[in-house]
Amino acid sequence: MSLLLAASRRELVRTAARRSLGRRHLIGRVFQGLCVVAAIAAVAPLAALIYYTVSRGVGMLSLSFLTHAPTPPFIPGGGISTAITGTAEIVGLAIVLAIPTSLLAALFLFERSGKLAGALRFSADVLTGVPSIIIGIFAYAVLVLPLHQFGTLAAAFALAVLMLPIMIRADEEAMRTIALDLWEAGIALGARRGRVARSVVLRGALPDLVTGNLLAIARAVGETAPLLFTLATPFAAMTLLIYTDGTQAFGAAQKTAWATALVLLAFVLLLSVAARVAAWRISRRAH
Amino acid sequence: MIYEPSPAGPDAVSGFVGAGRSAGVRAALLRRRSRFGDGAYGALRWTGAGLFGAVVLGLLIAIASDSSLAFQHSGLGFVWSGTWNPAADQYGAGILVVGTLITTGVAMVLMVPIGLGTAIFLSELAPRWIAGPLATLIGLLAAVPSIVVGLWGLLVLTPIFANQVEPFLASVPFFGWLFRGEAYGPSILLASAVLAVMTLPTMVALSRTAFAAVPVADREAAMALGATRWQVVRRAVFPAARAGVSAAVTLSVGRALGESIAVAMVIGNRPAIPESLTTPGATLGSAIVNQFAEASPGIGTSSIIALGAVLLLLTVAVNAGGQALLRRGSGAHPGTAGALR
Repeated sequence: MSLLLAASRRELVRTAARRSLGRRHLIGRVFQGLCVVAAIAAVAPLAALIYYTVSRGVGMLSLSFLTHAPTPPFIPGGGISTAITGTAEIVGLAIVLAIPTSLLAALFLFERSGKLAGALRFSADVLTGVPSIIIGIFAYAVLVLPLHQFGTLAAAFALAVLMLPIMIRADEEAMRTIALDLWEAGIALGARRGRVARSVVLRGALPDLVTGNLLAIARAVGETAPLLFTLATPFAAMTLLIYTDGTQAFGAAQKTAWATALVLLAFVLLLSVAARVAAWRISRRAH
Repeated sequence: MIYEPSPAGPDAVSGFVGAGRSAGVRAALLRRRSRFGDGAYGALRWTGAGLFGAVVLGLLIAIASDSSLAFQHSGLGFVWSGTWNPAADQYGAGILVVGTLITTGVAMVLMVPIGLGTAIFLSELAPRWIAGPLATLIGLLAAVPSIVVGLWGLLVLTPIFANQVEPFLASVPFFGWLFRGEAYGPSILLASAVLAVMTLPTMVALSRTAFAAVPVADREAAMALGATRWQVVRRAVFPAARAGVSAAVTLSVGRALGESIAVAMVIGNRPAIPESLTTPGATLGSAIVNQFAEASPGIGTSSIIALGAVLLLLTVAVNAGGQALLRRGSGAHPGTAGALR
């Protein structure tokens, strides 16, 4: 009698388990399907964005478009050469300002621990998330307003401030990949700390330093908002040109905007790819 | 068995030293070195740190002092007062704050489920040959400049929203009231869609890092207990990665709050309380972009900078929270978060 009861109870549990497994599999399938849908929904607009920029921009693109200065509206033959050289000048100057400063500040954070280093690290983390438009206002307040002059210097300062926290944290992160033992070994050998920083820390971290800095530069190249407050003419940078031409109602200006956007996009993506390739190449040579 | 460091193996030796290393010894070593020699290098390092500190302080002081005129003129009520009428010298950020919060909120409603689903797909479901390239692609797309997204939103999405998306949404039963009114194209909804596209790569990259930090053993244990894949994700992976995912959402919110140029291109720039999501609106960032050129020197410019001060407070609060969460969720590195954006 009790044997029979146990058997029927086992049967009950078994069917319940089977039913639960079926239900759990069904829920699992639905969830997996939803995740695939989400992945497609994520890639689709990004792919559409690239597709439209290429297809609408490529028609206008030519060598003379890249090498000629802009012409007044409705006069054909204009190009974006001033915007390209302008962006190059601004970003170049910003790099000269930001890279040495960020590298030294990162070494400071790497070698020191304590309240000051902690506070600086925290400010860098928070400053990375500060909207670029506020950095533009900052450059406007400290350079443009007192000097009564818009221009490359103020724009470069703004982009340098934008890159500084990104570079500091990326540099420090790169230095942390170096084993602390190596650093201590250098010190124990009696080498000065400057020497250890140069020969051990910077050399060892080089691949990651290159990657981090190139990504920061790629971000600065594509910024518009800080330039809005620091440049007087839209022809002085690619992003500003896209903004002013893109928001105009006539077709020729919009075409110029698309073509400029394509040039900018190509340049920025090239920088990001270069960042990854550089890291890979350098790390391969080192080992 | 007693552990004996082998004299021959450098790994064993450094392991032994590592085990006995005390922070105090290191600190003493450091102090000693900094007191004797290393003068030039020490000074250089201090210069780097000092310059950065000066930039941070300078930013705070400049924004505070240049916005002080506006706060004197309008009082603290500037932050919540609803009128923005430069012609009458009336300035208030209230409506713009509301516009910023609504736009960001709708963007997150659109983006977070998609971003989370994509991150789960990439880290838990997809085979490696799909996950690798797809993650690289989305990482590259994080580098797309916001102005390009704005241009696409303005010239491609605006007509689609005006002619198809907005009329369709207005006809949906029960939710139609959210989208009522004339469909112009430029609207809060369009701005949110653009923000969703812009924040998606950050969300995917950061939450994927959080999922990747969950030990494989946790997943295997759940599977051994008979969990399906969904149950593994829900019961084992997600709880362990919760802090990292919250950080991803928070940092995306921070980015969406502060984005100005792309939003200014598609939101329609009407500083008034919106009747529905399909009407034009304005955010703090878009108002700064649009009003800055026409601002009268003095009180007008100062009020624009005061809008920046409000935006700065908002984003710093959100980002400080995000960074704290990121530190709690061990997997993601705050340093790379910045580089990814």
